[in-house]
Amino acid sequence: MTTTDTLLAPAKADQFGRAVAMRLSSGSAELPYEVRERLRAARVRALEARKKPAFAPVVVGRGGSAALALERAWLHRLGSVLPLLALAAGLVLIHTIQTDDRASELAEVDTALLTDDLPPAAYADPGFVQFLKQSGRGE
Amino acid sequence: MATERELSDFLQSVEKRAFKRTVYHVRDEESALDIVQDSMMKLAEHYGDKPPAELPMLFQRILSNCTLDWFRRRKTRNALFSNLSDFESASDEGEFDLLETYEATEQSQQVESAEDATRRAQILREIETEIMELPARQREAFLMRYWEDMDVAETAAAMGCSEGSVKTHCSRAVAALSKALKAKGIQL
Repeated sequence: MTTTDTLLAPAKADQFGRAVAMRLSSGSAELPYEVRERLRAARVRALEARKKPAFAPVVVGRGGSAALALERAWLHRLGSVLPLLALAAGLVLIHTIQTDDRASELAEVDTALLTDDLPPAAYADPGFVQFLKQSGRGE
Repeated sequence: MATERELSDFLQSVEKRAFKRTVYHVRDEESALDIVQDSMMKLAEHYGDKPPAELPMLFQRILSNCTLDWFRRRKTRNALFSNLSDFESASDEGEFDLLETYEATEQSQQVESAEDATRRAQILREIETEIMELPARQREAFLMRYWEDMDVAETAAAMGCSEGSVKTHCSRAVAALSKALKAKGIQL
């Protein structure tokens, strides 16, 4: 398209451009209902997906509302950290209880062995094991 | 930082023009709607916390990029499925038919006389046809500069080119449109 030979003066070009834009605007204002609705739906979806600021803006009013907002931000943070702390504490508690149970079971076995008439060394004697087997069969 | 209300107002103010501009580029209403929706989503998702003054420029940039992406995707798809598309009918519903667009428009023009409304719609149709005939960069520069009312520097920034290029594109677009409309006997 050879147009350079018919270039308009800048002021006239601007005037022409704005006149065209005005015509276009009148056309775009009268879009079909379906298109307008789809654009509206797209806008609503976009607003739902809107990027929220990391911190809510602090509005400073009378009576130190800035301090209040800061305190709320801390409470919000604390609220999100508390469940994690509770989970960690629970895991530690379960581990401690299990270790204690195992220790007390072993202590009971040791106590039973030590308080028995039979000396603990007898259990390591092969002759005693044989004796236990034979006496078990005899009964 | 733009509030939700400010962002909503901004999107509402640009959505119709964005849609029409995209239709001029891609010549398909469905695709234009998808592109505008994508652009709105990207603006809201990534720049929803920016000041309201920065939104117009960001949106124009995003819209241009989304339109470019659409052309790239279409090119790839055409390359992949060229054999299948050979069998498709050329006169399918994907074609942009301005007569359909103005069907509803003409019904709503109750105040104007039927003759005036028809004439107005006809002029608009001719203008739109000529705009669609412009080379892509000229069309983009012209529409941003005059329809979006952006200055030369803003248009250059949104198009990613120099201010001199914007002036050249606009000047050529105006000359081409003026010549074409004059040839059709249309005075603005």
